[in-house]
Amino acid sequence: MQSSLAIETSGLRKSYGRVQALRGLNLEVRQGEIFGFLGPNGAGKTTTIRCLLDLIRPNGGTARVLGLDPQAASVEVRRRVGYLPGELRLDENLSVDGVLRYLNHLRGGKADWKSVRDLCARLDLDPKLVVKNLSKGNKQKIGVVQALMHRPALLMMDEPTFGLDPLMQREVLRLLWEAKSDGSTVFFSSHILSEVQEVAERVAIIRQGVVVEVADTASLINRALRRVRVSFSQPVDLSGLLSVPRIRLLSQEPTSALVEVEGEIDALVKALAAYPLRDLETERPSLEEIFLAYYTTGGKEAAQ
Amino acid sequence: MMTIFRYTLGKMLGQVAGWGLSLAILGGYLLTFYDLMLEQGGAMIQLIESYPPELLAFFGDMTKLLTPGGFLHTELFSYMPLIVGFFSILAGSGLLAGDEENGTLDLVLAHPVSRMSFFTGRWLAMLAAHLGIVGLTWLGLAVGTNWSAIDVTGAELALPCLSLLALLLCFACLGLFLSMVLPSRRMAAMIAGVVLIGSFFLTGLARINEHLHAAARFTPLEYYQGGEATSGLNLGWFFGLLGAAVVLTALSAVLFQRREIRVGGEGSWGVWRPKRNRAQT
Repeated sequence: MQSSLAIETSGLRKSYGRVQALRGLNLEVRQGEIFGFLGPNGAGKTTTIRCLLDLIRPNGGTARVLGLDPQAASVEVRRRVGYLPGELRLDENLSVDGVLRYLNHLRGGKADWKSVRDLCARLDLDPKLVVKNLSKGNKQKIGVVQALMHRPALLMMDEPTFGLDPLMQREVLRLLWEAKSDGSTVFFSSHILSEVQEVAERVAIIRQGVVVEVADTASLINRALRRVRVSFSQPVDLSGLLSVPRIRLLSQEPTSALVEVEGEIDALVKALAAYPLRDLETERPSLEEIFLAYYTTGGKEAAQ
Repeated sequence: MMTIFRYTLGKMLGQVAGWGLSLAILGGYLLTFYDLMLEQGGAMIQLIESYPPELLAFFGDMTKLLTPGGFLHTELFSYMPLIVGFFSILAGSGLLAGDEENGTLDLVLAHPVSRMSFFTGRWLAMLAAHLGIVGLTWLGLAVGTNWSAIDVTGAELALPCLSLLALLLCFACLGLFLSMVLPSRRMAAMIAGVVLIGSFFLTGLARINEHLHAAARFTPLEYYQGGEATSGLNLGWFFGLLGAAVVLTALSAVLFQRREIRVGGEGSWGVWRPKRNRAQT
């Protein structure tokens, strides 16, 4: 049976001794989307990915990857998944080409080697170099190439742009978009929120082993609090603004004010029409601010 | 599985060549001394008898020094397990835990390879490495007979090599098993090494102290014939050592199948430390 979900977890739990890494994680990633998985260190991102690949076994709950049970059909799941670990370690004595050929052989040698060469060229990676002589960023490029080279149905990438320079970060994000265009699902975790905002269609925010929010990236940003800086052509009395729902006056000067708006900005604009307005400047919150709000305010109120 | 086998064996080839060729040269070289030993037979026996029995105990029955089996055992096979045993222990303990500790196992096991295939490929490569080392040693000895009066055929020379192979595999599999139950490869290698050295001393001292016989029976080296196997391999001992290796392998395979692949030391054993009493100010 073909599932419309690439990843599905329900009540996934995982403990390391007394440390509970996952406390009932519920997650649904649709096929064909780019899904960002956000959370600080220790939130459970890597543990989730490793449970999905059967590298570690959950203590409870269920997981399905591409409609398959990762434990019962682990080889089949891994055949269809391209994985980039968060802490990538490679055989230091092999060349880039040697590593890629070895990993390709593990997949039955199915990669088209011309496209592998093209991928290396796009990432400015010399296949002849020996791994031990490479910088962290160049090793990361090998990780990206090996995850993509067999055109997997699902890409699971733990911090894919970690250690890369800004130019290469953009190139990797382009590769993710291209993978999506070719029909792949992309599931990636990141600390770099601007890149998640740039490529992810949906995001999940994980906190202490629990997903606290899943939303379209755009709507998550839109429905969050935003700040509006208003300036007037003459001193005004803003007491009338206080009665407008979902508006909070953060600061006020005789000819300017900083207002916080929750949700749509329409009510504020209508209320401001009664004032001698000179300028209006809105500050959209970045995903980073939303993300931080989840960790400073406890989550739910940040999304409202 | 073949990819894993080829890759693992490729990584071990340098060690196989290093150990195998060194032992082959040593074995071939030592055989040339057999003629000298025969020439000075009586004097040599007198000299040996003047040594303290505690020293002689570790080199087998030295009164048989002038026989091909006794010579091979005293000069080479008696201490061979102690030397090559460390290769075996390091190869076994690092076979899976080595890659896990250096972080490369995570990526490899995320590929479409079942854990059992991975384990089998690795194990077969370790077996092939041992066959290579012991095979090269045999070759060196067989070539060495051309320059020696020692009366032993190539087939007879193969028997102590088989006895050595079984013992080495037993220690390699012990290292492998310990690496699956202990928190680190280093600890597994250390404990297997202690067993090897302890076994060497215990079996040696048991030859001069009969009270140690009972304890020596529990050590793998007790079932190692070494050079004495040239006059006939003790199949019970040979298959006993191989059987122990198979049991340890099977247990390791089950443990690896259930293993949580570690990347950051999670699942390690906690080390108990006394709590500090903080002085209240």
